[in-house]
Formats: sequence, structure tokens, C-alpha cells
Amino acid sequence: MALLEIRNLRVRFGGFTAVDGVDFSVEPGELLGIVGESGSGKSVSMMALMGLIDAPGVVSADALRFDGRDLLAMAPVERRRIIGREIAMVFQDALNSLNPAHRVGDQVREVLRLHLGLKGAALESRVLELFEQVEIPDARRRLDAYPHQMSGGMNQRVMIAMAMACKPRLLIADEPTTALDVTIQAQVMALLQRLQRDQGMALVLITHDLAVVAQMARQARHRLAVMYAGQVVEQGTLPALFDAPRHPYTEALLAALPEHSRGATRLNALPGIVPGRHDRPTGCLLAPRCRYVQPRCVGERPPLAHDVRCFFPRPNTNNGAHDV
Amino acid sequence: MTPLLKKLATLIPTLIGVTLVAFFMIRLIPGDPIEIMVGERRLDPVAHAALMAKLGLDQPLVVQYFRYVGELLQGNLGTSIVTREPVLGEFLVLFPATIELAFAALLLAVVGGLALGVAAALKRGSWLDQAVMALATVGNSMPVFWWGLILIMFFSVGLEWTPVSGRVAIEYDIPFVTGFMLVDTLLSDEPGSWRSAVLHLALPATVLGTIPMAVVARMTRSSMLEVLREDYMRTARAKGLPPGRIVVVHGLRNALIPVLTVLGLQVGGLLGGAVLTETIFSWPGIGKWLIEAIARRDYPVVQAGILVSALTFIVVNLVVDLLYGVVNPRLRGGGH
Amino acid sequence: MSAEATPQPQPSPARREGGPDVPSPLGEFARAFAANRGALVAAFVFAAIVVAAVFAPWIAPHDPVQQYREHLLTPPLWQAGGLAQFPFGTDELGRCLLSRLLYGARVSLLIGLASVLLALLPGVALGLVAAFFERYASPVIMRAMDILLALPGLLLAICVVTILGPGLVNTVIAIAVGALPGYVRLTRGSALAELQRDYVVASRVAGAGTLRLMFDTVLPNCMAPLIVAATLSFSSAILETAALGFLGLGVQPPLPEWGSMLSAARDYIERAPWVVTIPGLTILVTVLTINLMGDGLRDALDPKLRQAA
Repeated sequence: MALLEIRNLRVRFGGFTAVDGVDFSVEPGELLGIVGESGSGKSVSMMALMGLIDAPGVVSADALRFDGRDLLAMAPVERRRIIGREIAMVFQDALNSLNPAHRVGDQVREVLRLHLGLKGAALESRVLELFEQVEIPDARRRLDAYPHQMSGGMNQRVMIAMAMACKPRLLIADEPTTALDVTIQAQVMALLQRLQRDQGMALVLITHDLAVVAQMARQARHRLAVMYAGQVVEQGTLPALFDAPRHPYTEALLAALPEHSRGATRLNALPGIVPGRHDRPTGCLLAPRCRYVQPRCVGERPPLAHDVRCFFPRPNTNNGAHDV
Repeated sequence: MTPLLKKLATLIPTLIGVTLVAFFMIRLIPGDPIEIMVGERRLDPVAHAALMAKLGLDQPLVVQYFRYVGELLQGNLGTSIVTREPVLGEFLVLFPATIELAFAALLLAVVGGLALGVAAALKRGSWLDQAVMALATVGNSMPVFWWGLILIMFFSVGLEWTPVSGRVAIEYDIPFVTGFMLVDTLLSDEPGSWRSAVLHLALPATVLGTIPMAVVARMTRSSMLEVLREDYMRTARAKGLPPGRIVVVHGLRNALIPVLTVLGLQVGGLLGGAVLTETIFSWPGIGKWLIEAIARRDYPVVQAGILVSALTFIVVNLVVDLLYGVVNPRLRGGGH
Repeated sequence: MSAEATPQPQPSPARREGGPDVPSPLGEFARAFAANRGALVAAFVFAAIVVAAVFAPWIAPHDPVQQYREHLLTPPLWQAGGLAQFPFGTDELGRCLLSRLLYGARVSLLIGLASVLLALLPGVALGLVAAFFERYASPVIMRAMDILLALPGLLLAICVVTILGPGLVNTVIAIAVGALPGYVRLTRGSALAELQRDYVVASRVAGAGTLRLMFDTVLPNCMAPLIVAATLSFSSAILETAALGFLGLGVQPPLPEWGSMLSAARDYIERAPWVVTIPGLTILVTVLTINLMGDGLRDALDPKLRQAA
């Protein structure tokens, strides 16, 4: 049984559908990367899972199950026992995501006290252990620091420590390295990978930057889902998607990686922008920007078939429509 | 320790200034200094000159000023023209009454204001929110003395729930221990006196506290609305914390910071409001004492009253300043 | 008729070079202000109050100091025992309440306006001096203001009135003295911020004279917060006037003043509640309308000043 099972998740804000019927599943210990530009709905879907979507947003799904338990149907009290404990989330801007009025040590202690009931010496040793686990130097002293007294990289480590505190089975990292310097990015990504391996934890990594995903070990178990304008357009194992992308959007994202532009005079970029609230096309959502667009693409919306949402997936050996 | 010392150091010019104001205040009043400061009129020239010399009033102003400050430091606030008693004595009896009233009003303003402000922010746009904002706007525009009269009309005269004046019912004889009636009644062995003291305090504290409460409610609401939008609130929810804890420990804790500044300003208004409230309710505090002294031209008392009020205000502002440093960790330095 | 007399259509007024019509700042402001309905209603009500005050001698049914001994404590028109002759009733000395309120409006509004101007003009001047001559003037001026600020509002006014004696003029002075530090601080703060800006530095380098710099360049950009502050201090001045009047330290009889009307009314809470409620409501409504206008002004002039609503 999958650790996390999401089927037909829909998130609507008034008349705008931010997430349009997406399916995700994550096995224990697996890495799932969710990639897409901003506006693709990748963050919103995970926040819906965590129960962080407020009115006027409306969340609906055929299934939203963690470890077999239905998260949507659960009473809020029960859900709160899972969130922060078995499923944890790390956000993008660590400095603003930490409470400026509380010491960082206390913010981690809070989770341990609440979910695990730790007190006294057991609490103190666990907090210290966590700080050391996330490689915060001079950990004992840093416990008493305030977020504004530390760097972005340090704060992000604190957030990870806070998320790992109760040994979650699933960690969701929403753009964990976007706000950080490039050198720190590599360190944090390495840390996440190490933690995932050591704890046997499932990791959902949300990012707009394929280069970040590329840093993750190319293990066959690791999977990737590519999202565009609220829909999943392609999914598959990491090696398969990197080596043989089938959706034009995935292909374009890969082509946009700097190493694929070596020797060229211009970076490969996909022209245009993600359709907003008011300009969703009637056909395939990528049609206005797709270089392989055909008449059928403009008229009909392709369903997700064989893990690709395209009538003419790459490489196009048949020179014809992909049979649906 | 050093930031505290630094803050105290900046106060010194203000303290000196306040004593200068008190000193000059009484000397700027037109008329015969002996009449103004001692109350003796129509003395023959010899007696007049003798009294001037005795009080040092013939000395240069600078000398007089230092003499005044010296006396202050020894606790000599002058002698009342009306009672012929040292001002300090009367002051020590009356000051606790004002403190008690102001403190009760402040408590009401803070608790009520925070609760209403948070509730309004959490239910933004609802009828509760609109009602709180409307009441806060009206509360801000109200003359406090009129509000007192209206509440008396309603609660004391109409419903007869609360008494109209004094700190405790006349039939109780409460010995003066701390000067705080809520304490002294408990210490005395008069049953029912504590309840009487509470009833007597209820209405004046409500009157005095209403306007600060309106201001605090407005400020809390707007501050809380900003805090609710912050990322760390989302993190708190992602940690699976119970909603009550999120609102108070994470939200309000940060929302309090600007509210504290406003509160400091309100305390000044409280002092002025206390004067008016004490007058309406015949509350025996220094506000009422000050006004009566002005009417009776008891200038040493007026001078002492003004001086003490200013000092109280300065001390309270200092406390608020220090609290602000505690409440807002970003001021503690070591920033990255 | 000659051919040239054939009427030609008038050419349309030449469009100004440089693009589409840009609304004037005044027009923008008026629109933003009008969007706030509370402020708009308040402005109308306030205008009505001002008109009533200005035309009091013509509108008031009676002389405000005239005592009608046969009609002591008459209830207002809408209560049992009320008389059309005295729409709001009479007070303990038989004086028409409505007339006293109308004349009292003149007193309150006059004192409010006068005290604001008396504090605003020197306050702005001192603030500008403190900002422009920061090194020498600023510490002195700001310490002096700190001394004034050591005594909170009403107490400072009481102090001034004790020295100068009661009365209308002294009330104006007392209130103005209390409001002065606020304007000085506000002006100094705004001016200092403006002085940092590039266009000012450029002007100075170009040799612009100080006075001209002060009034032509810097001051106009500080106007917005000053206008809002002035409006709000107008309403506080009215409250302070009433408070001083209530304490017997402000405007003296026989001049009718709202606060002193309430002071005399204390003894009649039971017998004649209207003598307490009506004057108080008048103060409340007047102050409320000014505060609402002030809020509206603040929101319209600078959305950044606005507190999250």
C-alpha cells in the first residue's frame, strides 16, 4: 500500500482552478519530485494535503490518504496528530517561516513537547541531537538564538530539524533551496538526501528548478512528476524522464538547463508564460507555447494516458496521434 | 545592564526639565509670591520681608532652584496653604487611590482591547468585526466625563447596581495599610467590605478604561491582521499545533509589539482621564486633589501634583520602553 | 454671401502634447476620499455643524444666556412635558438648550481651529529648522519638546491654565502648547527623510537657498501626514476644551460651552437626564465626524499610512 495516495485532487479559489484533478502516490522511502513553473499548482497541492488551504479555497479529492487513513474525512483534532508528526513540511523562505519572537531551540522543542510529550533531559538531548543531525555548528549555543541572528542556510537547517523532530514518514520540501546561495543549496540538498536515506523517509521535493532535482541521486526508485497550470503533464522515474522525456514541456524544461545549452549563443527558453486565471486555453494548456502544436491540441484537452498528457508525445515515431 | 543605564541617562535632561517646569510654574503666576506660595495676605512690610528671606525668595532664581531641588530630594514637597500640613503626607495617602483606579482601568483596557481586537481580526469582515470597529471608533471620540455620567445614570441611578461615589461604603471603617482598598479591605476584618470596594471600583475603572480599550482594540486588530498573513503562522499550522496556541503564542505574541507602543501613549491619557474620572466619582485620588487645589489656589499642592504626575508618566514610559525591548527580540542585536 | 462665410466646424480644442489626460492630484484625492462612505457622510454632517455654528445667531430660537424662570428644566420636545418653544428643553437655570448648543458650537470650533493653527505654524517652523540645522538646532529643540511631552495632554493644559488663568484665549494657548511637540516631531521626521532624497541633494548642490528649499521643495512633501495630524488634533482640541470647561478651568460663564454645560448638569442626572445626554452627544457627534474625516483623509492621501483594514 502506498504511503501517500492522492487521487483526483482539485483545489479551487472562487472560479479559478489551481489544481485540476491531479494524482500522486508515494511509496515509503521514495523520492517524488514535483516540478513546474510558478502557477503550476505544485505548492498548492501539497498545502492542500497538509490542510493549509483556507477559504475561499475549496479542496476536494476522490482520495487523500496517508497510510490508508483518509485525511479529508478526518476530524481536525485527529489530523493535527498526523501533521507535524508523521507528515512534515519545510518551506521556502526559512527566515520568514520561523517565528521571529521565539528562540529557534524553543521552536523545535514545541513540536517535541506537543507530539511526543518529551520533557526535561530527554527533550534537551533530542533537540541537541536534531541540531547536530542537520549539521548546525556550535549547536548548543545556537539553540538560544533568534532567527534574525542567523543566516538563511542556518535557518533552513532549523526548519529541517523542526520537521524531522518526530521522525516523520513523509517530508514535503517546498522549494527548500530557492532562497539560498548556490553553495548552500548544494549542502542543503545533500543534507536532505542523507536524511532520507538514513531515516528511510519518503521525500516530496517541490521545485521549479530541474537542476535541483538533477542533483538528487539517479536512483530507479525516485520519481518525478511534471506539472503545468494545475495538471500533471508527465510522470515517471527520474532516469527515464531525464534521459527520454516524452511531454514537450518536460523536454523544454530539460533543454533549458544551462548544461544543455553549451556552445549555443542563446539559452533555450520556452517562450510565453503560464496561463493565468483569465486566459486558460480551451484545448491543451500548453498549446499556445508548444513548438509541436497540432490542430487537435487546440481543440481538445488531452487526458493523462500512460503517464503523459499529450496527443503527440515525444519521440514521435508514428507521425500521428497517440492513441488514447 | 548598559542599555538600561543608557536609557536612564537620556531621562536626566527630561527630569531636570520637569523640575524646572514645576519650579517656574509657581513663580510665573502673577501676584505676590508670598500670597501665592504661603497664602498670607496683607502682611506689613517687615513681616513680608522676613518671610521672603526665610523662604529664600529674595535670592537669585538659580539659588532658589537648587534649594527647591534639594528639598525635593529630601522628600519635601512643600506645605499646603489650606491644611498647613506637609504636602507629602496627604499625597502618600491619595496616590494609591489613583494608582488603584488607573491600574484597574489599564487592566480592563488591555484584556478587553486585546480580546476584542483578536476576535475582530480572526473573524474579519463579520458582524463582530464591524461591531468592534464601530464601537472602537465611537469610543475613541467620546468625552470621558460624559461617558462617566451616562454610566452613572444607567448603572447607579437606573439599575442601582453600583454606588455613585467613594471607594467603599461609608459604614465600613477600613484602616489604611497599603492605600489600595482592594488589599486593605481583605486585611481588615470587616465582612462584605471587599465586595463593597469592588463595586465602588467597578464603574470608575470601566469609565476610565473605555477609551484606552477602544484604542487598543483597533491597534490589536490591525496588528493581528498583518501577523495572520505572515509565513510563520503557516509553519505553526504545519506543525500540527492546536489553533488556540497558534493564535496566542505565535500570533498575538508578535502582534503585541506595536500595541505596546500605543499602550504607552495611552497611559498619558489615563492620567488626564483620571483627573476627570475622580472628579465625577468623588474618588479620593490625586486628580481630584489637584483640581480642588487649583480652585482653592493652594499652589504648593498644585505644583506638587503636576510634578508627581509628570514623574509618574516618565517612569511608565521608561517601563514601556524596557518592555518593548523584551517583547521585540529583533531589538536585541546580533542581527545577521 | 461670399464663399468664405460658409460656417466651418470649429476645430476641437488642441490636445495637450504628451499623452492622455492625467487627473490632477486634487481630483485623484477627491475621488479617493469620496470612495470612503463613512468619511463622506461625516464630512456632510460636519459641514452641517459648521453652518449651524456660523449661523447660530439667526438659527437659535433664543438668547443662550437668557433665563426663563418659569421654565426650569423643561424636557425636550419629544418627551412628555416638552414644549415647542424649547426644542431640546431647558437647563437648571431655564436657558434654552438648543441655543446654548448652537452658540457653544461656535466656541468649540473656534477654539479648535485657533489652537490647531497656533500649534501648527510654529510647530512646522521649528520642525523645519530642526531638520535643516540638524547639528545645532535639533538637540535643543527636541529636548525642549521632550520637556513639554513630560506632562500628558490634559495635565499640561491644566498647568498652563493655572499659570495664565482660565478663559477662552488661555484655553487656546493651553491646548496649542500641548499639541506643539507633535507637529515639531512630525515635521522634523518628514523633512529629514525628504532631505536624504536625491532631488533635494541635487538642489542643494545646485545652490538653492535654504529658505526656498524649505518651503518650495521639502514642505509640500510633508503635507500629507501634517494634514491628517491637524485634523485629528482638531478633534482632540474639542475634547480638551470640553474637559477644561467641565473642570471649570476653561471657557468661563456666561459664554456657553459644551463641557461646562455638562458640569452643571451633574446634579440633574435623575431629574433631567436630557441636560446630560444631549450636550454630551453633541460633543461625541462633532468629534466623531472629525475623526472619520481624518481617517478618510489619511486613507485617501497616502494608503501607506493606513492601518490594515
